[in-house]
Formats: sequence, structure tokens, C-alpha cells
Amino acid sequence: MPVLAKARSLLRNLFLTQRVEQELDLEVRSHLQLLIDENLRAGMSPQQAQRAARMELGGAEQVKQQVREQRLGDSLHSWIADCRFGARQLYKNPGFTLTVVLTLALSVGANTAIFSLVNALLLKSLPYSHPESMGTIYTRINSSSAASDERHNINGEQWELLRDNVPALISAVSSVGTSGVNLKAGSSVQYVRNARVSARYFDVLALQPILGRSFSEEEDRPHGPKAAILAYGLWRSVFGEDPAILGRSILLKGEPHTVIGVLPQGATTPLNADVYTPLQPSRSGEGGGTNFQAITRLREAATWQEADAQINRTWLNRPGRYELVRNPSAKVSYHSVPLQRGQTESLRPQVLALMLAAGLILLIACANLAGLTLVRMLRRTSEVATRLALGASNWQIQRQFWIENLLLALIGGAVGTGVGFLGLRSLLLLLPERFLPVASVPLDGRVMAFTLAVSVLTSVLFGMLPALVARKVDLRSSMADRAVASAGSLRLRQSLLAGEVALTVVLLAGSGLLIRSLVHLESLPPGFNPNRLMVAKASLDDAHYHDPAAFRKLLDESTAAMRQIPGVENVAVGSQLPYEFTGNDWVTFSDGKEAGQAGGADWVYVTAGYFETLQMPLLSGRYFNEADGPDSQPVAVVNQSFARKFYGGSNPVGRHIYKDTLIVGEVADVPLSSGLDPVAPIQTEETLYVPAAQLEPHTLSIIHVWFQPDWIVRTGGPVEGLTSAMQRALAKADPNLPASGFYSMKDLLARTLATQRIEVALLGAMAALALLLSAVGIFALVANMVAQRTREIGIRMALGSTLGQVMLQIGRSGASASLVGVVLGLALSAGALRVMTSVIYGVGVYDLTTIFVVVLTISTVTLLATIIPALRIASIDPARTLREE
Amino acid sequence: MASQPTTLLQGTLDLLILKALATGELHGLGISRRIEQITGGTFVVKPGSLFPALHRMEEEGWTSSFWGDSENNRRAKYYRLTKAGKRQLEAESKRWGRISWAIAQALEAS
Repeated sequence: MPVLAKARSLLRNLFLTQRVEQELDLEVRSHLQLLIDENLRAGMSPQQAQRAARMELGGAEQVKQQVREQRLGDSLHSWIADCRFGARQLYKNPGFTLTVVLTLALSVGANTAIFSLVNALLLKSLPYSHPESMGTIYTRINSSSAASDERHNINGEQWELLRDNVPALISAVSSVGTSGVNLKAGSSVQYVRNARVSARYFDVLALQPILGRSFSEEEDRPHGPKAAILAYGLWRSVFGEDPAILGRSILLKGEPHTVIGVLPQGATTPLNADVYTPLQPSRSGEGGGTNFQAITRLREAATWQEADAQINRTWLNRPGRYELVRNPSAKVSYHSVPLQRGQTESLRPQVLALMLAAGLILLIACANLAGLTLVRMLRRTSEVATRLALGASNWQIQRQFWIENLLLALIGGAVGTGVGFLGLRSLLLLLPERFLPVASVPLDGRVMAFTLAVSVLTSVLFGMLPALVARKVDLRSSMADRAVASAGSLRLRQSLLAGEVALTVVLLAGSGLLIRSLVHLESLPPGFNPNRLMVAKASLDDAHYHDPAAFRKLLDESTAAMRQIPGVENVAVGSQLPYEFTGNDWVTFSDGKEAGQAGGADWVYVTAGYFETLQMPLLSGRYFNEADGPDSQPVAVVNQSFARKFYGGSNPVGRHIYKDTLIVGEVADVPLSSGLDPVAPIQTEETLYVPAAQLEPHTLSIIHVWFQPDWIVRTGGPVEGLTSAMQRALAKADPNLPASGFYSMKDLLARTLATQRIEVALLGAMAALALLLSAVGIFALVANMVAQRTREIGIRMALGSTLGQVMLQIGRSGASASLVGVVLGLALSAGALRVMTSVIYGVGVYDLTTIFVVVLTISTVTLLATIIPALRIASIDPARTLREE
Repeated sequence: MASQPTTLLQGTLDLLILKALATGELHGLGISRRIEQITGGTFVVKPGSLFPALHRMEEEGWTSSFWGDSENNRRAKYYRLTKAGKRQLEAESKRWGRISWAIAQALEAS
């Protein structure tokens, strides 16, 4: 078989090189001998025979070489030899190799880590069958004042229309996010994450329970039977994978629920809860507002166009459309988008901005590496010239050079993958739980391919310039001349350096603005005293506490018990604290010239003593007190923004809202996380406080589904042991009420500003990396100048130059490049940073402080990176350098 | 270097070597002399062309080789045709027949 013969020869040529060579040698020698014999037989003398035979053979070595060159696998052989040579070259220059590999590792690592995020969030398909036919619905609003195109939550009416009038889709809705609830199994009470989903929810996800079934239409009807589906993890940890769990009753939110199913191991949902219960959506209650999140799956044979047409037909015919409340003339339409996009839209700009920053890092690294390899190439000019003179072709020289670059790229890429892996792990540790809408961020094949591509691309980018320079090597001049630093290559290196400093300035300025913005948010005047406060959160999403009397009893007994804790000065309960995400309500005004008007305001329920415990200043009227009970006059307290917005700044005390609620006090503003009109992560805005004791049953049945109230303790004593004392006090009032967590006000602020902190940490890390790379670049340039000009420096100093003069002369090359870079970078920032307007607060894009700090930082780093290598000039002995020549 | 005609037509040398081996096994010099003989001295194949061709043809699987003793007791490497080599010779001969006929036709045309 010819194919077999070929393979055998190839293997022989590659692995039995010595034997193949020996045999060839024998064969050629035997041929020569046969020729000599032939000549002898023809009657020549031995000398003549020898000579004629050699002439006919034409040089044994040449014949052998010709055989070698057409051998199978010959090119592979020379590649391997080139690789070996390259590796030896790199090994012989450990300083160069180390710098290049580290630079590559850091920049490729940063890119790998960030790309893993991009991959997990934007590229990987959702982990469901046929993810391409899964969607959600966007609302496009166009009006003269504003335009938006985003995922809206929908209300009960929209849900019923979507379910009944859009046959092209299988649709389902769920609660927005999960809520913490108490699960009582046997004697222990667990705090678990509960998601409420409609019937068909698991059909849309194409998830089949491994035990039991999904929710039925019957269970999804309002007041339908209470059922529960367990996630695999909960089934294992709490119920020991008991297969008899089906049909058993578990106590969830204080009510018995029948377990009807268990989800498969590893199954993820957009909500990733521990336990699922039926949403039971309707047009009233929760469904009266936009509190549902829709997901859809296209039915077979239907198209998205049909689905969108059906959605628009049914949703545009609603009589009272909330989209038009604030903007009656707006044009509204609906369209489906892939579920993945809907889920990750809010993170997309941040992730892409990070990817861009990582790309800049890569460019900076390339500039650095190009400079380094250029110097190395120039140092090797005489080697290249020698090889050319010995007959190497230009292609062979270039090939050798590219092989070395590629080797560097692969080593750097491999180390970079490790760096990226570690970077990603620490990044994920930094993120708060459930921050990302995906279950995991893997380093999969696509990430690996990306890393490889980036490494190779980098090597091409940084190798291109020196390769072009090497092309111009002139044989005669470079063999004769040992001085290689031409003015042209210095200019080139300085330009590269200026470019990377400019990009560094952009990154530094960007992260500077984020830091300034975070500092602004964290140092907003609190409007209360945040010190010595400890907060316990617990879930009251429990049927027992839909009864106002039971609710009041719990609040009274638990606060009374907490007051007994030694050192505690004050205790209160509120649905929200400052900095926390706050619900809102539509407030109607019922007296004065505002009568008949209405407006949205943040809404917080509090116990008497809330304002005193937080030490929120009273501006007029009074705080709540124990007399504000269920049977007395309904009262409210508003904040300063409320008074300013709705009463034009006049005193709100004594005015009436809703039907007959009397405003009894006005307090100072505190910053909170707004659900009303968020323009910043935390801000002050119109807020209404109502007494917890006056809440209606229907409010109680719904408010704790969304919010977990806070028990607030102000202590004069030590904080150690306080949390367990608070837990014991809570248990005294209700032994089945585990606290879901304890926080200081600082923790709450950090939770709210998590996104900003992460942005600062990530972009800050990138900027620091860029700064490091630029410093290395400047350092290398100056150090290289010193090394190359040792002789010139020696002469100058022999002729009477002072050390300072020479250092200035040499250091100027790095400093001037850096200066140009700073100017360039500032100009670049002026344009580029305008995209940051939406993510910075309390600071303008052109912020003098930031610019000043950036320039100062770069100058300091430039100075250090210039002076340290220039100090080596001091050790140059003029006499010795001159003698060496 | 090969003589002029072999470089003119790709595959001519292969065909001649295959033909030379058709009558039996030969060592390198034997092949060279046999080609001289059967082409009436028109083609003289030098080692620089012969050996690369021989090695290539062995890698292709057309020939196999073994070490043997020559007529005056020298160790020499002998080559012989494999089955694939015989098939190749047949195919090449046919091809060559077609080419030379076509060339002759072309030259005769007026």
C-alpha cells in the first residue's frame, strides 16, 4: 500500500534520522566504489579511476543534501531545528524573555479573564434546549421627550392577554427575582430562596422534573392549592434525596405546601431559587402593578414576526395603558428579543467597556514588546548579517525571527491563561452573590481559542515592526559597524512609548473618575447617624403575619426583647433603611390647592422610635409615637424632598393625603436606592413614612413578598456578641423566625454600591496594569540607551561633562516621550471619557482633580522609571570604557 | 545534475527508472548504466538526480530496497519494483505513449 509506505518512510525520517543518514552514507560510498571498480576495469590507473569516479559523483555531500531535501518530513525537520535554535536564543537572554513573558502573561491574562465574562454573559447559549427559540418582550417607547427600548415587567392584565391571545408563543411569568422565606422541615427552620412562577414556566425552559411534575393550571389559579417544586440541591441537603417526598407537606412561609416535583441536578433557571411555588397571577393585588417577568418560547412552525404581531394586537388594545400615564402622546410598540439578551442587557455596557479596557492593555503591551524586540533585533544585526553572508535566504532569517516570536507568544499565552484563571476566580469572589445572571463563568474551549488567538495576534503585532526593520539590514555596513542605535529607531521607540502612555492616561483618567464618583456616593451627607447601628433582616413573607394584630405583636415583643440587651440604647423596625432599595406608592393629595393631584413617592413603614433610633433630624411637627395605633387617626411623616416637590417647600404638617391620612411631621432627607426614578445608585428623593401599626391586611399580605424588614439597634456598648443576642431576642418573639443576615450601615451601603465598587476595582486594576507596563517601557528605553551609549558617555565624561548633565541627556529620551504621551492622552480622554457620563455621579467628565492626579501619577512614575536606569551612568568609568574600544 | 531532456519533462526520469527496474533488481549504478543502454546513450543520469529520485520513489512505495553483493563482491543497495511500482510503470507508459503520439501528430501537422 503506497499510503502505508509513505507513513512508514515519514516516521523513519523523523524518528530514525541517524539510521536513515547512515544508510544514505553507505549507499553513496558504495556507489563511488562501484564507479571506481568500473573505471579500473576500463583500464584506468587507480588515481585516474578515483578522480573520474569523484567527478561523476559530483560531491558526496551535495548528493546527500539533495536526497535530504526531497525526503518526506524534511520541512518539519528544519522547523524543529529552528524552534530549538529559537528556544536556545531565548534561554540565553533570560532578562528579555522574562520581561516579554511577564508582559504577555499579564495582558493576555487580563483579556482572558474579561473575555470569560463576555463569553459567559453574551456569547454562550443559555443552558436550555433550543435556546434560540426562547425570548422575552421589550417595550419600545417613542415620544418627543424620551425614547426607550427595554424589558419591562408586566402586570396581570398583560399576562392574561399574553397567555390567551398569543398562540405563537408558550408564555410564562415569574416573580421579579427571588425572595428569602422560611422553610420549616421537621424541627429546623431554614432560610431559603423562593421564586414564584406561573404554570408552563418549566415548559418554556424545557425543564422536566426528575420526580413528579410541573405546576398545573389549577395550582396557578388565584387561591389554588399550595404546591412546591424543589431544586435538586435543597432536596438533597434538607430531605436527603428522599424519593417519597412527593405529596409530602412542607411548611413554607408558615403555610403547608405539597411537594409535587423535584428539578434535575444542575438545572438552572433565570431565577435559580431553592424552592418554587405557584405565582397565581391575577389582575388584582400584585398583578395590579407591573410585578411579573415574562419569558416565552416560540412554538414549532410559528415565527417571531407572527408572535410580535399577536402581542402588539392584544396589548395595544388595553383601555388603561400604564406606559402612557406620564406621556400620553408616546408611541408604544412591543417586540420579542432573545432571552439571553434580555437577561444580560443591563450588564452589557459594563462588560463591553471592560473588554475595551482589556484591549487597550493589550495594545500597550504590544507597544512595549515591539520596543523590546526592536532593540533585540538591532543588537543582532551583525548576527543576521553573518547569516546572510553565509548564504541564508531572507526568508530563512525572517522565519527564524517569527518562530522566536511565536514561541514567546505561546509561552506568554500559557502563563497568561493561568493568570487569567486566577484573575477570574478573584473577580468572581469580589462579586456579590447572585450578581451575574449566569450560574458559572467557565474557561471553556471558546475562551481558550480566544486566548490563543490573542497571544498569536500580539506576537504578530509586536513582531511586525522589528521584522520590517530587519529587512533593511545592509550587509556591508552592519558587518563593519558595531554601533547600532540609529536615530530612526530611537524615534520609533519613543513614538511607541508616547502611544502607550497616552492609552494609560485614558485608563487612569477613566478609573479616576469612577473612584471620584464612588467617593462622592459614599460621602453623601447621610441625614442620620450611621455609627453604632446593627441591623438584622428577617423574612415576614409568612401567612401568619398577614394578620395586623400578629404583626404588631411580633414587632412589640421583639423590640422589647432587644431593648433588654445590655448597652442597647434604642430599637426600631422599618421596611427599609437608608441606602436600601425602596418601594414606592402613588400618593393622592386631598386638600388645599394640591387637591386631586397625585404623584409617586418612596414608601417606608416604620415603628415608633425609627427616626429617633436613626437620629434623623425632625424639621417640623412630630415623630411617630406609640399612640399612632390601628384605631387612631391615620398619620404619615414626609421628608424634605416630599415637601419641596409636592407642597412647593411650604410646611406639610397638617395636610392630608390619600383619603384621610394626616401628615404629622417632616424629617430630613436620607439617601436611598430608588425604584422610582433612579438617576444614581443612591440619591435623596420624596419619601413617605407610615406607622407599621396602621398597615392594612392587604398591604401586609403583599409588602413582605418583596421586602424583608430591618430590626435596627443603636448600641452604646460593644458590638461583639450583639448579633447573637439580637437573634435570641427575635426567637423569643417567634422561635420560627431566623434572621437572614446581620449588617452594619456600612455593609448596607456597600451592598447598594456593589456595582460601583466592582467597576472601580476592575478598571482600577486595569489602569494599574497599564501604568506598570508603561513604567517598564520607559525603564527599558532608558536602560537600553545607557547600555548602548556607554562609550559616548565615557567620552563625554572624559571631556568634562558632569554626571547630572549626562543623566539629563540620556533620561530626556524617556521623559520627553512620556510628556508627549500625557498630552496626547489628555486630548484622547477629552473625547473618549464622554461615554462615561452615565456611570459617574457627582463629578464631571472634565474633572480637574482627576486630571491633576493622573498627570502627577504619570510624572512620578516617569521620573522613577527614568532615574533608576540612569543611575547606572554613575558607575561608568570613563577610562575603562575608552580602553575597551 | 541531470542531462537536459530529463529536466524538460517532469516524470521522464521516474519512467526511465521504473522501466530499467522492470527486468529485475539493480543497484544505483546499475540503474544508471541500464538507462544509458536502453536509451542508446541519450540519457545519462548523474547521482545527483538519481538518488533523490530513487529515495522519493521508495517513499512513494513504488520500489523497495535491500542490501546485497555486487558482481565483484561489493556491498550495494539494490532496488526492485513493488506491485504499486509495476502499476505505476504501466500507467506511466500509457501516458507517455499518448503524449509522444500527440507530440508527433502536432509536429506532422502542416
